[in-house]
Amino acid sequence: MIEVIKQGIYTSVQDMGRFNYQSYGVPLSGALDQQSFRMANQILNNQPKAAALEITIKGPKIRFHQNTFITLTGAKIEAKINGLEINNYIPIEVLEGDILEMGITENGCRTYLGVAGGIKTEMVMESRSQFQGLTRKDRIYKKILLPIGKSTFTPLKGARISTPINDYSQKELEAYPGPEFDQLNQIQKKILLNSTFSLSNLNNRMAFRLKEKIKNKLSQIWTAPVIPGTLQCTPDGSLIILMRDSQVTGGYPRILQLNNKTINLLSQKKTDDKLYFKLLSRIE
Amino acid sequence: MSSRFFRIFPLHLKALLIQYNQQPSKVLLEKLLSFKILIEKEVKVSRCVMGYQSLLIHLNEEINNLSWWKHRLNELQIKSEIKKIKINKGKLWKIPVCYDNKYAPDLLSLSKALKLEIDELIKIHTQTKYRIYFLGFLPGFLYLDGLDERLHFPRKVNPILNVPKGAVGIGGKQTGVYPNFSPGGWHLIGNTPISLFDIKQNPPCFASPGDWVSFTSIDQKTYNDLEKKNQKDKFKFLPYD
Repeated sequence: MIEVIKQGIYTSVQDMGRFNYQSYGVPLSGALDQQSFRMANQILNNQPKAAALEITIKGPKIRFHQNTFITLTGAKIEAKINGLEINNYIPIEVLEGDILEMGITENGCRTYLGVAGGIKTEMVMESRSQFQGLTRKDRIYKKILLPIGKSTFTPLKGARISTPINDYSQKELEAYPGPEFDQLNQIQKKILLNSTFSLSNLNNRMAFRLKEKIKNKLSQIWTAPVIPGTLQCTPDGSLIILMRDSQVTGGYPRILQLNNKTINLLSQKKTDDKLYFKLLSRIE
Repeated sequence: MSSRFFRIFPLHLKALLIQYNQQPSKVLLEKLLSFKILIEKEVKVSRCVMGYQSLLIHLNEEINNLSWWKHRLNELQIKSEIKKIKINKGKLWKIPVCYDNKYAPDLLSLSKALKLEIDELIKIHTQTKYRIYFLGFLPGFLYLDGLDERLHFPRKVNPILNVPKGAVGIGGKQTGVYPNFSPGGWHLIGNTPISLFDIKQNPPCFASPGDWVSFTSIDQKTYNDLEKKNQKDKFKFLPYD
């Protein structure tokens, strides 16, 4: 078990997501930065499906009720065990009674705390990813106890991963043209592809909204499937990038589609961060 | 090489969108349903998600030859039209709804705006059989077709933040049930005590695209009884045939 003493700003249990229920209106969910999440499990020799904690901006304070190994991946975060600083991207042994305290993320927005054997909270529809209305809680709160797997990790067995150089300051977001891209006129396309945008404070696991707008007369579409990374353009010109907790269908024109690598990068962006789109050639 | 009726668009490396250019209709719904059945049978897809005019196919592999996929899907589409694929002609689900004031904060204002007596409005709402086109928006939210034109009314300008679970509403040309607490802009005219989405059931929603829904007016006592049963998991919702 691990005990949550302080919950942080927004900390939730996440894994690869819920794959087979979109036709019932169930969002995909799962870690926003799948790349960093995957590495946490690799470092600890966990199953790829093992759940981790997704930490947003400010980390929680937790107490371990059993011996295990942990690791931190994704955005660099100030972290101390019993007051002693620890590094990211390495397996770290913790003992029963140890307290892990985390500060603010530094170079990005989301850090993953992996635990050997994974976090073993309730499985709902083949995933432990927390989502309002599906799991009992939408995120973790102080005073709760999180069950964790039994650690079978031995430092020698773990994958040796050299600490990646995460450059989350990169502003370029790669995107494919979306199904309604060609309904934009030349001027609108030019604005979309040649402007620098900034991330508004309306950014969460469901969607990231940009501050700048694009004037448009696009007609709304008949409600149609959308996926994480779909960039929608609303009638008032707002640009909304759907993230992993997004609805499975939407009624706004889908003008761009971010690829997975770009969703991972975007997950590390904060309010006011600048970004621009680079159009990828169509998939053939 | 897309058909003149639909286009095939790669949305993502592992997702293909089939989008028809026809207006949504029962004919199109049935085309989509039979196409979907055939795709799920003959192509290794992980899942298919429907919209009014579209199917999104999540593939198990990356698209590395789009023209091959287009060719394959065109073939399947033709096959789905020639072969009489057994599609879901639809079960009918009679959803019990209590239209009492307590559950219907917008019923009075809506009836005034539509210039209909409350009883008349409820009568029209309960007389129609609605077709389920697909699920989306929230887990268990049914997109229903068939709202009587007399009940069409624009959504609220300012959506409210706390629509209760089970609320039945009207917005634009649509009617439906909120399967869970949610923000929403529809006018609320009633509430159902039964769950449209239940994580303990497999599948989690009893209804599927192609099925039918109608609403039955119930009184407060029936509502309470059903609610109790539903909470105790003793309520098994069966189609009406």
